[in-house]
Amino acid sequence: MPVVELTAVSKAYGGVPALADVDFRFESGRIHAVLGENGAGKSTLMKLLAGVVRPTAGTMAIDGRPVSFSSPRQAKAERIVCMFQELSLVPDLTATENIVLAPSDGRFGFVRRRSRGRAAEMLARVGGERIRLDLPIRHLSLADKQLVEIAKALYCQPQLLILDEATSALTADQVERVFAVLRELRADGVGILFISHRLHEVDTIADTVSVFRNGRHVDTFPAGTRSRDEVVALMVGQRLTEFYPAREGPPPDKDAPPILAVDHLAWEPEIRDVTLSLRPGEILGVAGLDGQGQQHVLQALFGLFKGVRGSMKVDGRELPQSPHLAKRPWPGLALVPEDRKTEGLILPMSIEDNLGLAALDRQGSFLGGTSQEEARAREALNAFDLVYRSMEQPVGSLSGGNQQKVAIAKWLAIAPRVLLLMDPTRGIDVRTKAQIYRVLRRLAAGGMAIILQSTDHEEMVHLCDRVCVFYRGSVNATLEGDSLTSERLVAACLNLVEGATA
Amino acid sequence: MPKRLPVDPSVLLILAGCVIIVAVGGIFIGNFFTSAYLLQQLQIASFLGILAAGAMLVILLGHIDLSFPWTLTGSAIIVTTIGGATSSWLQDLAIPLGLAFGLLIGLINGVVVAKLRIPSMVWTLAVNSMLLGIAIYYQGEHRPQGQAPELVKTLAVGSTFGVPNAFLTWVAVSAAVLWLIRGTRFGRLLFAIGNNEKAVFLAGARPERTIILAFALAGLLAGFVGILLAGYANQAYQGMGNPYLMPTIAAVVIGGTSILGGRGNYAGTFAGALFVTLLLSALSVIQISEATRQIIFGVLILAMLILDGLRRRDA
Repeated sequence: MPVVELTAVSKAYGGVPALADVDFRFESGRIHAVLGENGAGKSTLMKLLAGVVRPTAGTMAIDGRPVSFSSPRQAKAERIVCMFQELSLVPDLTATENIVLAPSDGRFGFVRRRSRGRAAEMLARVGGERIRLDLPIRHLSLADKQLVEIAKALYCQPQLLILDEATSALTADQVERVFAVLRELRADGVGILFISHRLHEVDTIADTVSVFRNGRHVDTFPAGTRSRDEVVALMVGQRLTEFYPAREGPPPDKDAPPILAVDHLAWEPEIRDVTLSLRPGEILGVAGLDGQGQQHVLQALFGLFKGVRGSMKVDGRELPQSPHLAKRPWPGLALVPEDRKTEGLILPMSIEDNLGLAALDRQGSFLGGTSQEEARAREALNAFDLVYRSMEQPVGSLSGGNQQKVAIAKWLAIAPRVLLLMDPTRGIDVRTKAQIYRVLRRLAAGGMAIILQSTDHEEMVHLCDRVCVFYRGSVNATLEGDSLTSERLVAACLNLVEGATA
Repeated sequence: MPKRLPVDPSVLLILAGCVIIVAVGGIFIGNFFTSAYLLQQLQIASFLGILAAGAMLVILLGHIDLSFPWTLTGSAIIVTTIGGATSSWLQDLAIPLGLAFGLLIGLINGVVVAKLRIPSMVWTLAVNSMLLGIAIYYQGEHRPQGQAPELVKTLAVGSTFGVPNAFLTWVAVSAAVLWLIRGTRFGRLLFAIGNNEKAVFLAGARPERTIILAFALAGLLAGFVGILLAGYANQAYQGMGNPYLMPTIAAVVIGGTSILGGRGNYAGTFAGALFVTLLLSALSVIQISEATRQIIFGVLILAMLILDGLRRRDA
């Protein structure tokens, strides 16, 4: 019975800890579920086991024999096989080719006839017998791709199989079929690590449950010994709340006409049917597990997508479909994108150049932005307490938190009416977070309408007037007032509450 | 942080290189020190320099324009053919049509690269090859007939108070390009797009317009040089742009413009054009073969690219 054991393992990305001092063990012949919020460290744990990343500290052992993987190939040699959340299939190869891609049993790159047969067999085993083997993967539905991905993992004959959100696109029937296979594997002595956000699936299949929170291993217990409420409480934990600033002035007028109205918005498959509205002075949160369409709604509003159905109106007028028009005085939209390093900023360029970027192409003029906009950008930087040596300093030389301040300040230069923020505090230190919160509060008090998309539930509970929770491309719950609590929010993200519009 | 120097230190390095070539040439070969020789070098450098100015705009974007050799040849053929026409109103059209041809090719390059997202290196190479084909198809292997208009001859070979007009033209073009790069929204977008086009788009700017304008200006300047060269030689001939391909790109990268875009300064390109011209002249004076010359330019460009790569890694 092989046992995998992690002792005092830590992993940090560029100084930001993702896993801290984790002791974890799992055994073959068992199905072990790992639960946790976004950013709890589940994916990092899995990447360590799969040899994708190496631990910053700590040791890993299989059957008491220390191992150190410097590449996925070495993990595979121990027959540890991963099925990643982001599908790792090659879109232009067929199902067969993708399945046999992983192990190197071909000769000189040729796929053996025997391998083809086994690929089909694996696919049939997980309920994918109708999937055409000769079609490039990109023609398959997401659910079928997921089945191919599972078949690919099985093909490697794993001793330890790690599944990260492996069933997120599957229907209940398909999930049942896959679970039957997992139970067979368990009976054969395979250890299965099962990462999922779906608590009912975990209840159905897991023998053991571990909960992670903020990069720490919080608890491990036999499945079925805790109630769902207890499990959610473990995932959320107790957190400090004092650094969330109080609202300045009265709450936004509930009867005020909305500045922004989104009606039956659809951009399949990411956005299925979204209706929401936003009033001036309001901070609206959009929450959800990764990839439920909440980020796409912000991008759609800013005009990044073509072929959007439904309506998006500001002041009762339909929004233009291009970022260039979206940032004009009307409608006055601004989007702080998710990845500040590649989307929000131009790292090698100076603070000054980056601050001027949003204002740059606003006027019809051939010359640069106006001095008024420059003054506003500097004012915004002061509000953020930006620490810098010189305006000529490249933005890339600032810390992550200070970079984010510049990414937001550049939009404040054009005084937007609706500010859309995509996960603005991800990977940022607590002090900077508090500064960003203060500025957002002040902007809202000044009448700006703000949509805050975030993966930090605590921050949404304390900062937002309302939170729309996304699930599979639609809003499945809107929380406000007393119903806006971390527990309710997490439950809504996991779709445990039906129609919880309070 | 130290106050920014008015001139980039690397520019001073290139100028020092120019001085060394002249000094070594003057001591060991002779007549490098004469004002006639130096003025002639300035005149020759002007053609290269104006081409490099246009090429730099495109390289700053992270793109490249390889179509300029035959764009300038095309403009030269147009200007000499029409300039040699019998009717005088047709002669007056020679220069505008020559410039329009360069602008048109540049616009086509820009639209295709910006809208259809075809890699500029491949597309402009294809355009260069097509223009070559068209020229030969219509003219066979013959030398194009006709002559350059008087104004063009004055610009290319004349001089004012002893200073070659070509050099004055280069200075004027440089002033305009410097203003474009440093003083306009277009210039700031050039650098921004060269560094991160996605961020520029997400900031609500329109990268396509900047890309099209940069290629159009590069085409216009190539056409302009074609016209000047037609005046310089008082004729057009097929392949007259070919010897400029490597030296132009060399001038830009020696001047410190990153071939990947986003970094560079015009003073460097100006100095780079001077340096390359002097180097070419020195090499031809000591009668180094064409083959060796090509190798030297290849090595020079490679060395600059490696240097650029190292600088990027440090940053």
